[in-house]
Amino acid sequence: KTDQLYGHYCSCLFWLNHRLKELLRAKLTECGWRDQLKAHCKDVIKEKGLEHVTVEDLVVEITPKGRVLVPDSVKKELLQRIRAFLAQHAT
Amino acid sequence: MKMEDMSLSGLDNTKLEALAQDIYSDLVEDACLGLCFEVHRAVKQGYFFLDDTDQESMKDFEIVDQPGVDIFGQVYNQWKNKECVCPNCNRSIAASRFAPHLEKCLGMGRNSSRIANRRIASSNNMNNKSESDQEDNDDVNDNDWSYGSEKKAKKRKSDKNPNSPRRSKSVKHKNGELSNSVNADPYKYNYNTGINYETLGPDELRSLLTTQCGVISEHTKKMCTRSQRCPQHTDEQRRAVRVFLLGPSASSLPDADTMVESDCYDASDGQVLMSRLQWDGSSDISPSDSASSKASTNNSDSKKPKKKKKTSLGLNSTGGGGGGSGSGGGSSSQTSLVGLSNRKKKPKLPVPPAPSIYDNLN
Repeated sequence: KTDQLYGHYCSCLFWLNHRLKELLRAKLTECGWRDQLKAHCKDVIKEKGLEHVTVEDLVVEITPKGRVLVPDSVKKELLQRIRAFLAQHAT
Repeated sequence: MKMEDMSLSGLDNTKLEALAQDIYSDLVEDACLGLCFEVHRAVKQGYFFLDDTDQESMKDFEIVDQPGVDIFGQVYNQWKNKECVCPNCNRSIAASRFAPHLEKCLGMGRNSSRIANRRIASSNNMNNKSESDQEDNDDVNDNDWSYGSEKKAKKRKSDKNPNSPRRSKSVKHKNGELSNSVNADPYKYNYNTGINYETLGPDELRSLLTTQCGVISEHTKKMCTRSQRCPQHTDEQRRAVRVFLLGPSASSLPDADTMVESDCYDASDGQVLMSRLQWDGSSDISPSDSASSKASTNNSDSKKPKKKKKTSLGLNSTGGGGGGSGSGGGSSSQTSLVGLSNRKKKPKLPVPPAPSIYDNLN
């Protein structure tokens, strides 16, 4: 049911997505998350070989680590904004 | 955004929280994916590893974190107390004083030319006053420089680097200026710094005032060496200075030298003209017709009405003019110049001659 609702929201939450995405990216770059992950990418590439690395390789390796590496402060702030937005549009 | 069809209000907090978490994780995943695509593209395009250097170089440029040393590993005051040998004068100079010393030594800085000019001017004044009566006039006329200045000029030239473009430019500039001035007046004077009017002879003063602003600064007691249109001083000031230095009846207008040969009265014509122009509040080229007509009517009162338009036009192009109304004309101006040395010693009184002009104009 959450997915259903979320599907509904996706179409209307373009603004939210756009703004929050930009915000998140900026914060992640600021806190060094991006550089950390990039360094991890380098390791993966060296491991798999420069010529043969695929998108899937990277995604599989990077995404879980990326989720974990997000600093708590960034996570908290983002969640706060999302909740505020939802609360604002709940009525 | 229309939310009627979404029963969000029906949701309780846990579900809202779950929703928020979902949204959040989606956003994070989006960011990760974005990074992956960027990296993959960089790898395939070949620019991913471009900003890396080898390990050795990385070690060379590592950030240094020791006390007493900056992050590059350099010591702060290392060269402060070292001494350098000046290539020009071969003296040993402290490092922190080296640059200013070079400036003076090579004659290339902003102040060095001024100081040098001042020195030359003062020494020339002493030289020229003794040599003006000599029969070395042939020498004086043959060279572009007067005798005394030539010595200094040669010495100065040897100090400079002949290859530097700036040097040659300024030398040419000075040569040109000096030859112009020498044609008008055998005395050499500097034009970079102010001139002390007390040390100059009457002829020098006159020639100076024909080309320069000449307003005497209250602080330094020196004459302004800028052009006749120098924006720092008004024409009123210039006129007052000329009156003060050369006498109320003297004409010290820029064309005075040439005009003296042609006609004595034209100078005074010009004076009244200029004072008229100033009185009207415009020091620039005002309609010369009206000015000259005014001048002619005025002159008819005091002297022969000799109105020459070409001279008035020439005067209009300059900003300042001597004070004094048409009393006596140019011939008397020359005699009054002789008595200048007495006048120079008086304190500055630019104001008194002014009312006389205005009386005449009225």
